[in-house]
Amino acid sequence: MATGGYAAESVPPPRRSWLPAGLLQTLTWVLVVALIVGPFVPLLYASLRDRPLYEAGGVFTVQPYRDLFGDSAFWRAWVNTLEFAALTTTFAVVLGAAFAILCTRTDLPGRRVWGRLVLLPILLPSLGIVLGWIAVWGPGGYLKQWFSQKLHIDTPGIDTIVGMSVVEAARLLPIAFLTCQAALARADSSLEDAARSAGAAPMRVLTRITIPMLRPALLNAGTLIFTLAIAALGIPLLLGTPRNINFVSSYLYNTWTNAAAPDPGSVSAGAMVLLVVRNRLLGSEARFVSVGGRSSRQDLLSLGALRWPLTALFALYLLLTTVIPVLGLALMSLVTVLTPLIAPWDLFTWEHWRALNDGVFARSIRNSALIAVVGATVTTALVAIATLVAHRSRFPARRTLPFVLLYPRAIPGIIIGIGFFWAYLETGGLGDFFRDSVWGIMVAFCVRNLPLAYIVMYPTLARISEELDRAARAAGAGWWTTSRRIVLPLLRPALFAAFILLFVEILNDYDPAVFLVKPGTEVMGATMLTHFIQGSVGPVAALAMVQVAVTVVVLLVFAKVFNIGATGADDA
Amino acid sequence: MREIHVESLVKTFGEQRALDDVGFAVAEGELFTLLGPSGCGKSTTLMSIAGFQQPDSGRIAVGDTTFFDAARRLSVPAERRNLGIVFQSYAVWPHMTVFDNLAFPLRVRKLKRSEIRTRVREVLELVEMTPLEQRYPHQLSGGQQQRVALARALVYSPSVLLLDEPFSNLDAKLRERARTWVKDLQRTLGLTTIFVTHDQDEALSMSDRVLVMNQGQVLQVGTPEEIYRRPTSRFVAEFVGRVNLISGRVERADGGKIVLAVDGTTHRLAVATDGDAPVDSQLTVAVRPEAVLLAPPRDGAANGTNTWETTVHAVAFLGDHYEYELEAGPLALSAVSSRLLPGDRIDVHIPADACTVVE
Repeated sequence: MATGGYAAESVPPPRRSWLPAGLLQTLTWVLVVALIVGPFVPLLYASLRDRPLYEAGGVFTVQPYRDLFGDSAFWRAWVNTLEFAALTTTFAVVLGAAFAILCTRTDLPGRRVWGRLVLLPILLPSLGIVLGWIAVWGPGGYLKQWFSQKLHIDTPGIDTIVGMSVVEAARLLPIAFLTCQAALARADSSLEDAARSAGAAPMRVLTRITIPMLRPALLNAGTLIFTLAIAALGIPLLLGTPRNINFVSSYLYNTWTNAAAPDPGSVSAGAMVLLVVRNRLLGSEARFVSVGGRSSRQDLLSLGALRWPLTALFALYLLLTTVIPVLGLALMSLVTVLTPLIAPWDLFTWEHWRALNDGVFARSIRNSALIAVVGATVTTALVAIATLVAHRSRFPARRTLPFVLLYPRAIPGIIIGIGFFWAYLETGGLGDFFRDSVWGIMVAFCVRNLPLAYIVMYPTLARISEELDRAARAAGAGWWTTSRRIVLPLLRPALFAAFILLFVEILNDYDPAVFLVKPGTEVMGATMLTHFIQGSVGPVAALAMVQVAVTVVVLLVFAKVFNIGATGADDA
Repeated sequence: MREIHVESLVKTFGEQRALDDVGFAVAEGELFTLLGPSGCGKSTTLMSIAGFQQPDSGRIAVGDTTFFDAARRLSVPAERRNLGIVFQSYAVWPHMTVFDNLAFPLRVRKLKRSEIRTRVREVLELVEMTPLEQRYPHQLSGGQQQRVALARALVYSPSVLLLDEPFSNLDAKLRERARTWVKDLQRTLGLTTIFVTHDQDEALSMSDRVLVMNQGQVLQVGTPEEIYRRPTSRFVAEFVGRVNLISGRVERADGGKIVLAVDGTTHRLAVATDGDAPVDSQLTVAVRPEAVLLAPPRDGAANGTNTWETTVHAVAFLGDHYEYELEAGPLALSAVSSRLLPGDRIDVHIPADACTVVE
């Protein structure tokens, strides 16, 4: 062995980094905590003042809460909200679990493709899809009218609480599907095989073994869907408000925007109530982070003669809930009036698409694109470092970070919006800068969606052995060098996935923005919402189509790069 | 100047004492093994030396440099301890070539490019991996990855080398070769080395000295021969190799010899020992199976003191030897023999100096 001179030459000790790891970690922690906790302090404060924060001389009072609880409309809104959320949860969980079983445990033809298509509603822009539903099935909707005029069939209305919960369930069903799918993939299929060996027929195995094993997943998915439904804004506002069915979120929105004398204190109090109720239901969202299970070959239950009827039902579901709304949206963007009475080609027009070229619509597209690119980049970087501080450092407060990083998912979007509204108002020049520019909306969107980045990064990081960083530390690298040279490069696929997901979410998000938009800082979602309510549906449909198209293209490119069909991402 | 001093380390995780007053010293150039079952604290000890865990109290020093001293609230960060460490998973960075893996510690130390190249080549030659320097880790076998990990730990001339179960991911054949190879390399370089394992064969075959741990406590320190032949506790006797434990009441004790009345039988067992034990006290002695001598039964030979008559309960053929499960009344004995003895009765002889009092 050639050892001559080897041990004799000594190597200088590693130098200290110019950037102390502790400082970087502290800055990251402070920034993350300030961004996430920051908006709630002024919100709580605003709810306990006798006049809006922008008026001088307020005093402490619980009057906003007294007003709120004394308003019978608020209680009616709660009853509606709970009914809506309960129905939504039931529909979404039952169907989602059934689809998950069909796609993972049976010989349904094309089950892999169905399993990916069924995820579409959660990836497509939710507001756009709701608009599509309204265009087709809503009061005066294209197919609704067609059925009643041509066939004299009165299709059920989607502007009732039951109807709205069907629409919301179609949007949230992928959560139940993904949760059950992950649980089924993780479950040891030998448990089912054992039942088969013991003489149980496939149906019996399904009802006695498979479905009972799913119970925790059903409970988790149900809780998450329930809480998301409580906080939903788009459907209540677009379908409920015209019929005078108010929900908590739309009650808060309408009280804020439409009341002759706006009552910010009361809205803030309402927001606090909503926040508390939702958090009680949700507990720690960490429980709902499902880390994808290992996929193993499952022995399949044979569906027999039911194979093709079930396939047809699956296809019909996707047709009704995803394809037709998107087509309806496309049609609405290309005709002057959407009506079955006149053939659409006689009403064809490019006018709505041309409208996107200037004014508020063009501004919205520009702003949304800008904040989606910048926001996704900055958030990916920040969450990546925060995740490393949380899981790969000795920073004293590191254990608080996972909770803080997941927390925004537990907060309804409109509450983030109200929170940032007060936060910007209370922070002087810096706040004014954010309040008067599109960056203020970007920050709110980023904070709202940053848990997604964490949810994507954490499982990947957990799979990167800690011995890899320890080896770098032992080799003389400090925390930052180790992170930069070893851990972050290994995390690259997850960073890219997080970026894509954030890009899509920030592009399509809307509810935090409704309290923050000003002339000049419009973003697509908020513009769609306000203009649809004002009745200019054509350009809004065109705008929604832009969202759908960009989302689909981005996701397809992403899928191509990573050679997968669709990502399983949580959404709200 | 590269001896290692570890003094009274204590580390508690919640209720549990992971390290309970662990202390030892490793001489320069020595290969020192921490042996024990999983969860005994050996890895915690190693990671405390490496700087990845902070004991609650105690002191760690290498040569003149104190790495950790709870009393002085001193803890040198892991990256400034200049130790070489090979992890159980090897931890070869998957996104870097073999060359880049080895160059990383030198780049961190801001060496010149030419110097990095020379040193990496030198160490690659040392571990016989020169032709593979442009490969990525996934293109290497487990044994090759292990060599890369070892090379990376050596390339910056660390003051000491720490090995954390480095052979546990290799298959049995490769493991034996790797043992010899690492031992040779360590001896050639004269590197002070701490080696952690739960495998007694590895510990016995490679070490200059072995420290046996259990439940966070040091049970025994000694050469492999001492640990195997003269275990001072029941745990060490049972953990290191197979063992017969024989309990009995002390009948006589005089200068260097104790005679036991073996529990549940009429047999006597004379034990050679330096220690003393009061008459009528209970003792347990350990006897290695290979120290038990077997012979076909001869009338009168089995006189009841150290030579007993036994019944054969089971015989297993293990290729190079037979393993006997014998019964002397209620007492079960294991023994080995190079040849098969006829019949189902066998006389055993347990030499007095093959017995060690463990309890």
